[in-house]
Amino acid sequence: MKIELLVSGVCPFCLEAEKVWRAAAADHGCEFAVVDISQPEGAALAQRLKLQTVPALLIDGTLRAVGVQSPAEALTLLQPVRQQAHDRMQQMGFAFSPDNRGFILAAQIYLMLAGLGLLMNGSLLSDDAARPAFLHLFTLGFMLFMIYGLAGHMLPRFTGNPIREDAWPWLQMGLAHGGAIGYAVGYLAGWHALIVVGAVLAWLSLAIFAFRVWPVLWPAEP
Amino acid sequence: MHKRNRLFVSIALVYGLLGGLIAIIRLVDPSLIPGNVPRMHGHIMLLGLILMMIYGIALHVLPRFGGFPLYSEPMADWQLYLANAGLPLMIAGWLGWRDMLVMAGGVLTYGAIVLFGLNMILTVRAKGRGRTLPVQ
Repeated sequence: MKIELLVSGVCPFCLEAEKVWRAAAADHGCEFAVVDISQPEGAALAQRLKLQTVPALLIDGTLRAVGVQSPAEALTLLQPVRQQAHDRMQQMGFAFSPDNRGFILAAQIYLMLAGLGLLMNGSLLSDDAARPAFLHLFTLGFMLFMIYGLAGHMLPRFTGNPIREDAWPWLQMGLAHGGAIGYAVGYLAGWHALIVVGAVLAWLSLAIFAFRVWPVLWPAEP
Repeated sequence: MHKRNRLFVSIALVYGLLGGLIAIIRLVDPSLIPGNVPRMHGHIMLLGLILMMIYGIALHVLPRFGGFPLYSEPMADWQLYLANAGLPLMIAGWLGWRDMLVMAGGVLTYGAIVLFGLNMILTVRAKGRGRTLPVQ
């Protein structure tokens, strides 16, 4: 985490702000820099941020506060950013997150369900009406869930960018289960409406996955 | 992650959504999309979603797991071009019942498959000059 303090040589409060933030940065192991707006680099930064007041505080390039903060206020300002950094580190951990673990486990269940087609029909691609059911238990169930779990785990690690979490993976998982099961049961039972609902749910799960993964692949410029 | 590999994964997602949408439309009203829709859907999902996702991820991880750099970056670039020229041609062929377009698209798609296969074999087996990774 990088803390930058924009100051001016004629600002009477900037020295006090520098003391507070230098200490806070040292306490929390953050990189710290003082940027003078009378210098070209500082002037360009102030212009980009449309700054009217110094001292001004930037954390990881984002303007967070202006004026002089107390040590307690500094801690309050650092807390959410530190939490984000902590969450991000967890995201970059080696082990599967609970949602990705769930996707991988579910994929194996769907594989075994799809494999029942071999027992019942002698083939995954039988010639009867059950063909789409077992085929899609394999594709929508096994393959798509494996993609969800593996890509959701690996892509953030390949790119160094976090994936959208919170409730999104669980919504994606619920829709994907509803889709795969609805589609398969719809075909086995001959309920066309359930087949359509299953297909729509599965599509929505893929749309949510794309929404989660897109900023991993194409992060917004800082 | 190389931009080309990110493109492969991104395009895979787009094909997945497209293939799914085609299937839903077909389920709602089979007359809305002309041509051989089931075959189109199957190939968009397999060659578009699954294979391009594998391309993007494998081009990134296999050289790392193998311990050698990718044998040829231009081959992987051409693989991207061929794969994404081939599948749209095949889709156009199925939409218009034009077997020649499907065939032409299939040839391009197969070209991408061969480029990928050879590139991966030569990467994992570490053939060619300058194939050692620098000592860290």
